[in-house]
Amino acid sequence: MAATVDPPRTQTPTPASAPDEPGLERAAEQAESRRGFLIGLPSLLYLVVLFALPLVIVVVYSFATRSRTGRTILADWNLSSYARLFDPLVLEIGLRSLWLALLTTVISLVVGYPFAYYLATRSPRVRGVLLVLVMIPFWSNFLIRTYAWRVILGRDGPFVRFLEPILGTEGQLLFTPFAVVVGLVYGYLPFMILPLYATLERLDFSLVEAARDLHATGWQAFWRVTWPLSRPGVVAGSILVFIPSFGAYVTPEILGGGRTTMIGSYVVRQFLSARDWPFGSALSVAILAVMLVAAVVYFRTRDREA
Amino acid sequence: MDDHQLAGTLDAGPLAAKTPVLDTVTTEVAAVSGIEVDAPLPAVRLQGVTKRFPGGRNHDPVVAVDDLDLDIRDGEFFSLLGPSGCGKTTTLRMIAGFEYPSAGSLQIFGQEVGLEPPNKRPVNTVFQSYALFPHMTVAKNIAFGLEMQQLPVDEIDRRVAEVIELVQLQGREGRRPKQLSGGQQQRVALARALVNHPKVLLLDEPLGALDLKLRQAMQLELKRIQEQVGITFVYVTHDQEEALTMSDRIAVMDGGRLLQVGDPEEIYDRPRTRFVADFIGDTNLLIAEVLDADTARLYDGTVVRVPTGAPAGSTVTLAVRPEKLGLWHADAERDLRLDALTGTIRRVTFLGNAINYEVVAGERAPVELVVRQGNTPGIEHFADGERVRVRWLPGSVAVLED
Ligand SMILES: Nc1ncnc2c1ncn2[C@@H]1O[C@H](COP(=O)(O)OP(=O)(O)OP(=O)(O)O)[C@@H](O)[C@H]1O
Ligand SMILES: [Mg+2]
Repeated sequence: MAATVDPPRTQTPTPASAPDEPGLERAAEQAESRRGFLIGLPSLLYLVVLFALPLVIVVVYSFATRSRTGRTILADWNLSSYARLFDPLVLEIGLRSLWLALLTTVISLVVGYPFAYYLATRSPRVRGVLLVLVMIPFWSNFLIRTYAWRVILGRDGPFVRFLEPILGTEGQLLFTPFAVVVGLVYGYLPFMILPLYATLERLDFSLVEAARDLHATGWQAFWRVTWPLSRPGVVAGSILVFIPSFGAYVTPEILGGGRTTMIGSYVVRQFLSARDWPFGSALSVAILAVMLVAAVVYFRTRDREA
Repeated sequence: MDDHQLAGTLDAGPLAAKTPVLDTVTTEVAAVSGIEVDAPLPAVRLQGVTKRFPGGRNHDPVVAVDDLDLDIRDGEFFSLLGPSGCGKTTTLRMIAGFEYPSAGSLQIFGQEVGLEPPNKRPVNTVFQSYALFPHMTVAKNIAFGLEMQQLPVDEIDRRVAEVIELVQLQGREGRRPKQLSGGQQQRVALARALVNHPKVLLLDEPLGALDLKLRQAMQLELKRIQEQVGITFVYVTHDQEEALTMSDRIAVMDGGRLLQVGDPEEIYDRPRTRFVADFIGDTNLLIAEVLDADTARLYDGTVVRVPTGAPAGSTVTLAVRPEKLGLWHADAERDLRLDALTGTIRRVTFLGNAINYEVVAGERAPVELVVRQGNTPGIEHFADGERVRVRWLPGSVAVLED
């Protein structure tokens, strides 16, 4: 009987491109990821060779030994360089760097936030002009600009003269922590302003209107709506200012003088004058660890917002 | 939506309690401003309100709202209706306090508020884009206004729970706005405004982002909620159908000006201007020559009985809705109570629930009319090219002012 015969399987034709064919789907996905890998390959190579490799060398050196003459002996691996991180002098420099970097970050935030807010609420034309103004300092060399601050803050500069009644005739601003913080804020303020501007520019200001409509005063609307919603920008800007401030070399070197050494200058000194590469490397690894913590804080916050 | 399970969920107490206080204000203010003393104080009164925006370089300022006079009554569902760019949102934003009027006076229950900041006004807004706080839960969003007014925590909790029930969001208190559908977000926006028991609730096209079915369901629900809480709703829409179904009264705007205010029937049946007649529903516009105070003549010679209000010999525009016209065979008996016009069917369009007939009368200056007949059982159908007589009750024709 015809009814008892199973229809042959081939009678249900499947188009070649059927999306429910698992093998084809997987092949397509693999091709996709292969393409992605090929596109990323150049930058991957670049990062491995030019970024990861030096880092590995630094880590390796930090466990090496320094010879009497200042040569690095790649043997006798030990932790003595790390132990020296806890010297009172090193700790003092480290804490000072931490403190100055934090101060720089807070001041940049306090100065940068209102400006970024102002920027974000202007018409597109005004925004363009103001953004260019923020960028202009980048068009000249950082070192030269820092030397300019030396003139401004120097003995005969306008600040010292203006503040003479307070500072006295012997007063000075240059080569003090104050000068370093001024220089750092000056140098890194754009890194605070730009991410803040990016978040505030995307902020839906009808939310602020809604808060005002719901009986919030201007301040309440700011603290309850604008500020929490601009947190990602605050965190990004703070990290971008904190990290380079903490490891700063040029600014404390030029504006800080001998009494305001920061960790960056101290590292450089290990490599150049003290010729103690293992200790310099250990210091660098320690700085790296601090920055890593900062970065983790950043990504944590960002993920929580999302 | 099941209406029964919602009945009486919102405590009308705080709202009702405010009324007596207002009544005394009514008479005082009314006496000062010289307006009829007996009339109850309007919820919102706009007098000569104008809003000009700077027009940018080398441009004249944009007049978004032009010398608006408007009274919105206490407790009514009032719609601002008009095409895009006619100034509806600007008017609403001035009432809310997001824009300050360039000229004129704006009062809420007799109190001049034109220059008060939004947080000091007894109104709340439902935004078109909802503007829910993305970093707060549904409950926190709703509680926001009450927290800002520093109400005791247990009262906040009670009122939030109450309004969540009113808009049927039970069980979603802990969610973030992003985790809700468009319709649910809409309800949160509504609840967040209503929980403050505003004297006036402002809504800017609150259903604009919803699809048709949900939109219709929400129309009914909004109307139900409005009736239940008794708050004055000022509702902005460009959808004439929505305005007709929901409103107690409608203000039609165009180009920043107010064209007509009235209840839906008035607006629909007796439009005063060509724009209103055309914007709301379908309409036949006919040019006629005035014969005397009660009659006018169409180009084809048909005499129409209308209160012309214009000198003999001048021309007026008449408006009549397609569904107010009846269709008969040309040789049908004359009915003297009805006006009539004889013409030829030029096109028949089947609409499902109705049939549209385009009728042309006269030769040199033809009069064209659309007649709509309900597709009801037993009704006679006509064919293309048939001679017909179109008849109507004299009262169904409106004379336009322009
Ligand atoms: N901030 C502003 N600056 C300049 N012009 C504005 C501003 N706000 C509104 N306008 C102009 O005012 C007029 C009225 O705008 P409004 O937003 O009130 O219209 P609307 O009736 O709400 O329209 P729609 O239905 O499209 O929302 C428009 O011509 C608009 O371009
Ligand atoms: Mg609008």
